[in-house]
Amino acid sequence: MSSSSPTSAPAQVAPLNDADTGWLLRVRGLSKIYGEPISNSVQYTGPAHGTNICPETDAIVACAEISFDLYPGEVLGVVGESGSGKSTLVQLLYFDQQATAGEVQFQAIDEGQTNILGLSNQRKRHTRSNLMGMVYQNPRDGLNFSFSAGGNIAEKLLMAGNFHIGRIRERASFLLEKTEVPVKRMDSTPDTFSGGMQQRVQISKAIANSPPLLFLDEVTSGLDVSVQARVLDLIRHLQRELGVSMIVVSHDLAVIRMLTDRTLVMKNGRIVESGLTDQILQDPQHPYTQLLVSSLL
Amino acid sequence: MPLLLQVQSVSKHFQLHIQNNKRIAALDDVSFKMDQGDILGLTGKSGSGKSSLMKCIYRTYLVNSGRILLHTGSGAVTDLASASEHAVLRLRQTEMFYCSQFLSVIPRVPAADIVAESLTRKGVSHADAAEQARDLLSKLGLPRELWDAFPATFSGGEQQRVNVARAIIAAPRFLLIDEPTASLDPKTKDVVIDLVLALKARGTSVVLITHDQHTLDRMASRRLHLEHGRVRELETAVVA
Amino acid sequence: MITATKFSQTYNFGFIDESTKKEIRRKLLKAVAIPGYQVPYSSPEMPIARGWGTGGLHATLSLIGPEDIFKIIDQGSDASVNACNLRDFVKRMTGCRTTYDTAEATLIQTRHRKPEEILTDKQIIVFQVPQPEILRRVERYEAKTRQMHAEADYAKMWVALYESYVKFGAIMLGAGYPVRVNGRYIMTPSPIPRWDVPNLSMAPCLHVFSAGREKRLHCVPPFTKVEPLEFEDVKFHVEEFRDIVCAASGGDKAFMDEIYESETSRKFVMNDSNFMDKVRAGTRPPQRLFTNPAA
Repeated sequence: MSSSSPTSAPAQVAPLNDADTGWLLRVRGLSKIYGEPISNSVQYTGPAHGTNICPETDAIVACAEISFDLYPGEVLGVVGESGSGKSTLVQLLYFDQQATAGEVQFQAIDEGQTNILGLSNQRKRHTRSNLMGMVYQNPRDGLNFSFSAGGNIAEKLLMAGNFHIGRIRERASFLLEKTEVPVKRMDSTPDTFSGGMQQRVQISKAIANSPPLLFLDEVTSGLDVSVQARVLDLIRHLQRELGVSMIVVSHDLAVIRMLTDRTLVMKNGRIVESGLTDQILQDPQHPYTQLLVSSLL
Repeated sequence: MPLLLQVQSVSKHFQLHIQNNKRIAALDDVSFKMDQGDILGLTGKSGSGKSSLMKCIYRTYLVNSGRILLHTGSGAVTDLASASEHAVLRLRQTEMFYCSQFLSVIPRVPAADIVAESLTRKGVSHADAAEQARDLLSKLGLPRELWDAFPATFSGGEQQRVNVARAIIAAPRFLLIDEPTASLDPKTKDVVIDLVLALKARGTSVVLITHDQHTLDRMASRRLHLEHGRVRELETAVVA
Repeated sequence: MITATKFSQTYNFGFIDESTKKEIRRKLLKAVAIPGYQVPYSSPEMPIARGWGTGGLHATLSLIGPEDIFKIIDQGSDASVNACNLRDFVKRMTGCRTTYDTAEATLIQTRHRKPEEILTDKQIIVFQVPQPEILRRVERYEAKTRQMHAEADYAKMWVALYESYVKFGAIMLGAGYPVRVNGRYIMTPSPIPRWDVPNLSMAPCLHVFSAGREKRLHCVPPFTKVEPLEFEDVKFHVEEFRDIVCAASGGDKAFMDEIYESETSRKFVMNDSNFMDKVRAGTRPPQRLFTNPAA
């Protein structure tokens, strides 16, 4: 039954080829540690130890040693359970949090020559508003509820230097239409909208300046199933149309299956497996991935 | 005819860590070659490894050992087994198309749009793609009322028509197709076979899995018979 | 005659002690060096309550010298009760000459107006400011507003203007219209009417803005650009007093007060009382007038 030639287990995380060009985002060794790290904090934590907490100093290693490449037009999924570090990862990339270590290069900034984690606050802000978009799980994190829906989109456009009200309203209407939000609600504040519509306003705000990179952090968790389907459909559609690269964070493998081309599986702050999404779902290698996939309802 | 695919000593097993590390063998030292323009039919009993082989070629499965060399349209040769994820995604966009046994249903997308997507992805205008999609669905006998309906509620046969249409309309250079004529009536079976043969005439190469003798006889120019994950015989059939 | 000398007090010149005056002057220098930037300062206790002009007094009393001629107005009027009380206080504390005449004064303290008459490069004008933080309307946290100023992140301010336009068809800010100073900081010009805002830009005089309650100083130095925030298609407008003349002086082209005479009639009177007196006397002083852009 068994073959005579030796067979090896395929690599769970494919080795990275630094010589490869054409990437949009390159992340190497990204980490975030809360508290007092010691030199061994990273070694005492992780999936092998089953914990994020350093036993000696109680430092929390939210994520560590994160390395991957993202290419233009690709959708990368990041899946994991609570404490896996998946949300921290996008927060670091979007500058919501300050990284402890690591290098991130973004093709749209200095042609990828600079570590964007070391940019000045002003350049980071410019990057966030013009070159990146973020959609949060909770609309209150991404939208200002004291401004109207159109005002929220206007904020992004104004930050990018558009000071013509007529054109701002045109663009805002266009984006709201694209995300299937009734344009006549443009001047209403988001607290009068349903959860699904709030998410769609967030999406239109995120793509307002046509950024090359979009982050989606658990965008449909907490929405009703029918609403979820509609939002995911919209995201899929937009991605096809705009060709934007996305990083989609979700604990739900069904969302990952629907939206992404490639997936990173995270546990206890580390990447345990990476691969093509269909491969992760049909031929998972790592025990944790197999556990996740087998738990898919 | 130039080479399209060289499968060299491919072995694949599954290691189920969460089930006491159970080891399930799928493929054992499989080797064969395929020329461009071939339609290779994979035959064998259930569990003989046909689908596994196809998925290994498409990189849905990771092989444990061996190489899968694809000769691309530009003349380059890529080992699908060891290529980077990015490279494989590119090949899936430009070279290969995999049509699985069952339609994977994306909610809330109408049948005609699912089919048209294969074209719009390549830059064809929405109007043209929609027209071609409807044309094809009508050829395959999907009732007009269902063109704008969501396939989640279709019967097996109706879903299969959408599934096959999606693959055919893409007209890929290399088509992997698993049970294209299952759940179809004899008339539609022939329509599908004709459409695939038309693709072949335009240069598409096909790897085909089918239980249906009629489909096999009409389509496959060569057959590969698998048994327990091993190649039993590779024969060239005479196409009627 | 019995004079009560036992409890008589003598005050330092200008009431505030010299060390504190020095500190306020240093902060003023910093404010002048960074136009539009809010400099925190000591804001010492005064014998009047906060919200009644302590900030204006701080700046005035730190800058005033024995030779200065002091004028103080409250919404354009020299004769308002608060202006009179503050005038008396400054006079007692410094012994300086006081005047109603704008051209004669060397130091002018004002609440919520800039005089119509052009001020020269020999004059300093001190504005009383209730809320120096222009961003307070859109952001309640001080730490955040400081960061916004530091990074020139004024998006929220712009969105507030956009929302106002969208809701009401116009930017509904009558007093205290936000301005960008020297192309960098966005500042409140204190609650002066829109009419006065263009007068701040490229003026020969020094403008000092002082907020006693909030403990901030900011300045617009002479010949500094002050631009009201406006959109490409929604421009800044001053009030138009079309077909309106002052009932007392007969003049026009000045900021007018609307006065209700009875239940049915109203009249308009020039707000700047000294300017109005001069117009009535036939000696209308030079002004800088702003033309609204074509609609």
